[in-house]
Amino acid sequence: MHELAIAQSIIEAIEAKAVECNATSVKGVRLKIGEASGVVTDSLSFCFEMLVSLNPVLAGAQLSIDDVPHRAYCRHCDKEFAITNFVAQCPICQEWSSEVISGTELQIIEMEIETS
Amino acid sequence: MVKVTIAQNILAANDTIAHEIQQNLSARAIRTLNIMSSPGAGKTTLLERTIARLRGRLSVGVIEGDVETSADAERIEAVGAQTVQINTRGACHLEAHMIRDALAQIELAGLDLLVIENIGNLVCPAAWNLGEDTRIVVVSTTEGDDKPAKYPQMFAASEVMVVNKLDLLPYVDYDLRKVKRQALAINPHLRIFELSCRTGEGLDAWCEWLITLIQGVHG
Repeated sequence: MHELAIAQSIIEAIEAKAVECNATSVKGVRLKIGEASGVVTDSLSFCFEMLVSLNPVLAGAQLSIDDVPHRAYCRHCDKEFAITNFVAQCPICQEWSSEVISGTELQIIEMEIETS
Repeated sequence: MVKVTIAQNILAANDTIAHEIQQNLSARAIRTLNIMSSPGAGKTTLLERTIARLRGRLSVGVIEGDVETSADAERIEAVGAQTVQINTRGACHLEAHMIRDALAQIELAGLDLLVIENIGNLVCPAAWNLGEDTRIVVVSTTEGDDKPAKYPQMFAASEVMVVNKLDLLPYVDYDLRKVKRQALAINPHLRIFELSCRTGEGLDAWCEWLITLIQGVHG
């Protein structure tokens, strides 16, 4: 959803950081994208590649994405479980007292740059 | 090559503005709702009925979001609430910067409740914080009873679900228990209201809940 706008937001963030670090070239960007974030990573990669090609400092930057699974912690049985189809029921004890612990991330972790 | 840590949310720019909005409105003891639904579920009609019923008890301001036209703002103005219309001209969801700009056109003094009516869309609005306190998703009995499972992010992100158009139940194949079961499976904490804006059924309970929500702000 809105992968082009999201890619643009990523570009703006790394451009600003690149200026701050006096980077001559950005070689790579690492993202953390949650399974339940609503973002399609293939589309995002496609949009990112297209946008970086427009900027000499970013051109050729490789995008790597850490996919984060949608997981919850069950307070009743003190165990974590994988959430499927957003259903919040613990498959171990069948209770409904869990909280989401991962899977909704949309983050820029780091970038690799050259400074000369 | 040098690794530079960024550790930043991609939507940080929106979240920062949303946080400022939330702080501003909280400081004025104004409770803020973000009402979302597919087009035609009854967001504007619900607002019209609510504002009319609460006249004299609550002071309500409204930010209307639509792709085009000021039709909804005109309807809300007609029931006596201060309204600002945002036309996105193509954007399918409201973003915090749009709310910030709209707030500059509202007289906030004396308001108890600010309602943001989002663009009719069950997908994108869920991902964009607007500085609201409470998110409300409206579904209606003419939309099919499988919407929570089909649009889980919206139901997971909301605190309240309103099922509208109860009066049409005799004419549609809509399993109300199924909708509630699906929605609660995704979000066990969802508060659910069932009502008909047309007949008024369920509106009392909805309005009384809004009153208690406002009283919560004032302590």
